[in-house]
Amino acid sequence: MKSLRLVIPYFRDRWIEVALGVLFLIIVDFLQLFIPRIIKWVVDELTAFQIDLPRLWMYALYMLGIGLLIGVFRFGWRHFLIGLSRNVEEGIRNRLFSHIQTLSASYFDKTKTGDLMAHATNDIQHIRMAMGMGIVALTDAIVLGASAIGFMLYINVKLTLYALIPMPLIVLGARFFSKKMHRYYGEVQGEFSELTEAVRERFAGIRIIKAYTRKATELSFFAGKSKAYVQSNMRLVRITGSFFPMMIFFTNLSLAIIIYFGGQQAVRATITPGDFAAFIIYLRLIAWPMMALGWVTNLIQRGRASLDRVNTIIETEPEIIEPASPATPLETFKRITFEDISFSYNGNLRSVLNNIRIEIQAGEILGIIGPPGSGKTTLLNLLPRLYDVSGGRILIDAVDIRKMRISDLRRLISNVPQEPFLFAGTIRDNITLADPLIQEEALMEAVEKAALYETIHSFPDGFDTLVGERGIILSGGQKQRIALARAFLNDAPILILDDPISQVDVETGAGIIRSISQMAGHRTIFIVSHRLSAVRFADRIISMVDGRIVGSGSHSELLETNRYYSKTYHLQELEEELDLHAY
Amino acid sequence: MHTDFGYFEEDSMGKPYDVKLLRRLFPFTKPYRMLLFGSIVLVVLITLLDLALPYVTKIAIDRYIVPAKYTVSTDAGEQQGEKKRFYIVDLEDPEIKTVVKKYPRLFQTEGSVSRIEFGELNKIESRDLSLLRSNDIRGIVTAAAVFLILIFASFCFNFLQQMIMEYTGQQIMHDLRLSLFQHIQSLSISFFTKNPVGRLVTRVTNDVQNMHELFTSVISFVFKDLFLLTGIAAVLMSISWRLALVSFAVVPVVLFASFMFAGKARNVFRTLRIKIAEINTTLSETISGMKVIQLFGMETENFKRFKRINHENYMAGMRQIKIFGIFMPFIEFLGVLALAIVILYGGSGVLKESISLGALVAFISYVRMFFRPIRDIAEKYNILQNAMASAERIFLILDTHEKLPQPESPSDAMLPKLEGIAEVAMENVRFEYIPGEAVLKGVSFKVQTGEILAVVGPTGSGKTTMINLIIRFYDPLSGRVLINGTDIRSYPPSLFRNRIAMVMQDPFLFSGTVRDNICQGNRQVSDEEMAEILKASNCRSVVDKMPDGLDTVLSEGGLAMSSGERQLISIARAMARNPDLIILDEATSYIDSETEEKIQNALVNLMQTRTAIVVAHRLTTARNADGIIVMNRGRIIETGTHDQLMAHQGFYHRLNLIQQVKAEA
Repeated sequence: MKSLRLVIPYFRDRWIEVALGVLFLIIVDFLQLFIPRIIKWVVDELTAFQIDLPRLWMYALYMLGIGLLIGVFRFGWRHFLIGLSRNVEEGIRNRLFSHIQTLSASYFDKTKTGDLMAHATNDIQHIRMAMGMGIVALTDAIVLGASAIGFMLYINVKLTLYALIPMPLIVLGARFFSKKMHRYYGEVQGEFSELTEAVRERFAGIRIIKAYTRKATELSFFAGKSKAYVQSNMRLVRITGSFFPMMIFFTNLSLAIIIYFGGQQAVRATITPGDFAAFIIYLRLIAWPMMALGWVTNLIQRGRASLDRVNTIIETEPEIIEPASPATPLETFKRITFEDISFSYNGNLRSVLNNIRIEIQAGEILGIIGPPGSGKTTLLNLLPRLYDVSGGRILIDAVDIRKMRISDLRRLISNVPQEPFLFAGTIRDNITLADPLIQEEALMEAVEKAALYETIHSFPDGFDTLVGERGIILSGGQKQRIALARAFLNDAPILILDDPISQVDVETGAGIIRSISQMAGHRTIFIVSHRLSAVRFADRIISMVDGRIVGSGSHSELLETNRYYSKTYHLQELEEELDLHAY
Repeated sequence: MHTDFGYFEEDSMGKPYDVKLLRRLFPFTKPYRMLLFGSIVLVVLITLLDLALPYVTKIAIDRYIVPAKYTVSTDAGEQQGEKKRFYIVDLEDPEIKTVVKKYPRLFQTEGSVSRIEFGELNKIESRDLSLLRSNDIRGIVTAAAVFLILIFASFCFNFLQQMIMEYTGQQIMHDLRLSLFQHIQSLSISFFTKNPVGRLVTRVTNDVQNMHELFTSVISFVFKDLFLLTGIAAVLMSISWRLALVSFAVVPVVLFASFMFAGKARNVFRTLRIKIAEINTTLSETISGMKVIQLFGMETENFKRFKRINHENYMAGMRQIKIFGIFMPFIEFLGVLALAIVILYGGSGVLKESISLGALVAFISYVRMFFRPIRDIAEKYNILQNAMASAERIFLILDTHEKLPQPESPSDAMLPKLEGIAEVAMENVRFEYIPGEAVLKGVSFKVQTGEILAVVGPTGSGKTTMINLIIRFYDPLSGRVLINGTDIRSYPPSLFRNRIAMVMQDPFLFSGTVRDNICQGNRQVSDEEMAEILKASNCRSVVDKMPDGLDTVLSEGGLAMSSGERQLISIARAMARNPDLIILDEATSYIDSETEEKIQNALVNLMQTRTAIVVAHRLTTARNADGIIVMNRGRIIETGTHDQLMAHQGFYHRLNLIQQVKAEA
């Protein structure tokens, strides 16, 4: 029940409302007992002919008054108790979301988006239901159950004990079933997550599905997931479907026992027939709280299973952690040092980077080249601590970056990832990241540098063009240039460019590279590219293969010493010259 | 960072039409009619059993505990009219006779029967009393046994009913999910550009789930409630029709209130459904863009945005509480009002002696019973509003027919056959995504088997759009796309898509094994073939690096792989399809020149009997092509074979140099 700590604070913070809600609920329960009393009075007085019309009116008005009070208090508990559950829903969802944002890149490598979506909607909804109606039904069950038992004890202690014979069975049964319910609910919710992810992935990859005529395959895959979900629900309903009738059965069993024992006692005149009759009426009163109890168990087990699931995420510690005592933030620095870096993903044995040693002075440009999978992107991911090194250290001046506050570190860095990511908003928002303080001139300058100005102006809505989910309406090259403009606008001293011109044509690419080379001296730049024209101006270029640096030097040095570099260069030089003339 | 949550806001909807929606849901329940019917029968049986239980206790009391064998005492000296209850015994039983003889003062014997005043029974010794009333005790035991059997039967029926309902409900939901999924899958790409994935996912998963209660409890319980309602109403009418009509006076108010609140409730539920979709969309966007969010320190801003949507969800939730908080108590109050009316009207009736007291008492208890199903139905009606808010969204999608027109043909035999793709051509194709913004302005070209066509040009010049038209993600505004000289609109899309393999700019892989991603699950690829594919696509080293080789399970979309590696796998996927036409759209943008060149060479070998269309920024690609199209701003500005193009530009000597470099490699 560790996961309960997620909801307890809400009770603590809003205890007045919870207390009021429960109080109102109890008041309603008792007020409801009054109505039969009034009816009894009326009937008694009618029997004795002691009533006249005004008195009848009085009783009717009494009833209406009580009915009104019940209504008011009902509104009250609904507002407080169910309102609390909405509050919990909002709070836990916010907490889940902000926690997810702190998790490291490695977490998202292994966690499915659809799974997280199911957590944020389906599971949190279950928690809400358990909190709201759960509390209500529980209070009801306790109050009504206790008062009915109280009445019964008042009439006849021995019979009451008889009537309570099935109680231990109920408790045992509830315990047994709760455990199973909890487990099966966990399974059902797990299957729901799978289902969500299956749908999400298929809609995200709809183009591949269509192009590869996989609709039928995907439908049957999805049908399989949906079937599995149905089956897990059926496993669950074997439990919930027998639990609920079982609660009713045990309540009725009490009645059978009372008929058997109480009936015989009444025949033997040990108790009066009146006692017997009254007893049966009160036992019937217990039926509702018992059913409520069954319902509560169901809701709470479902909520608990979801709470456990949500809690698992919230308890996931980010792998990238803030230092206990962060170093003072740097404004400027002299050098960045990669000291014998090695790295492997998720404790995987195969290392992606081996013994990387680089030292780069502030204002220098470092070019990185190499075939796919040689570790270029991984190397760039280490500097802003998307991942932490497995061995060695990265130092900015003399400070290990793990000793810096993460936000301080990242503020030093501006980044263009390999696959540009755009948010569903306007182009302006995507470049400025909705920073209202950005000056129009700065924006224009960044856009010019990214060779984007004319493109944006060719759109009828210009900067206010909405780009759709992940920038879906734009071409690859347009997205990439928006990501570039975003990074140029951010005036951080370090600029990381991961293959920044892979999707733009050579001419545009050349313009962008010109902008980048003009930043030399102002910014420390790491640039990965498959196009050597994008790195040839670098102060130093490293050539990577299989996670190792196999060549290092300036353009002219590498041209002589590194076969891969020189061959690629010749291939591309001709190509680009040809290209430039082709237009 | 957004003025609104996405590109296209969801429409708010007009007036709710529940009947229409229910009628549309009806076909989904059709295959399970028998089950539904069975469950309704069970519910009725359960209700009957529930009603029978009090009857058993009544019999136990009336027949055995307080037998109705009483006579009215007319003894002088007693107050007149006083009734006395006597217990009457049969003296023919010898055992009873001995008991009666033991207490001569208590019994009055007349012939073969003897009677004792009910209140005197407790003066008899317990053992004797047991003897005396052994019949009653047997009766009680029987009653208890019958009761036990009934409740056990009720238990079984209840269990069965729940199983059936859950099964039926789950099956209906399963069918609904499937048809929704299938429908969405068949919609054209333009639909997906307008609807964020998160929203569509919400419709297929959460919204269908939201109808769970409708299918599992509402349907059968509404029948039960109606059944009870008519039963009780009949009883009420039979007791006193005048009183019954008076107490029914509140029913129209209940109906009116239900309709009034239903409209309000629906609005709130609609908002809730939209907000849940927004939550999912934001979440899915955040997770995909997490690196950018973290690198640019946007966490706070992004959280604010999420918090706002979440808070709107909360506010809608609170509105729902308010509406229900007024509605439910109001219905209950109407129940009390009806009771008050009965007391007032019935009470004065008793005073005027137009109605008997017993009738009034019975009436009161039935009126109380009457309001329970009414309240239930009112509540269910509002649960229905929730389900209907989801149903609306679901049918909104099912009603979207944003599909490309299918060739109309009376039978499959009439459809054009496609033995192989021999020629792909475009004829003066114009296209625009947004009206008025032409992306392609009259594009024509032709490419034949064994040829490689290279498409080059600056970004945004319409290259990808052209590809999208060839595979018929969109239809041209005017002009035609032709395969083997026939407009592709006259083929079913799967016919030609089956013969095309495509590698897109954004290498999308599915979770699953590398092998499944390459084979696409629907083609048997032998080990030798696979080895060749891996070699041709340069994937060997990528696969070798993986812990389980080809059987390595990729997590979501192969996120842990580098973009270049994913691109290589998607090239292998295209090759494994063994297509007539292969389309590479910037397929090597994340790959270095050396690897690219190897792939190019493999492709040239592979393409000898096939067709290839290759979009590239880099001209390395174009070098090997049989024809090159140079595009700019939606137009083809230059076209020809490489040789022609080179000659035209006076570039022939450069071409020689390229060949020289190739020879070195």
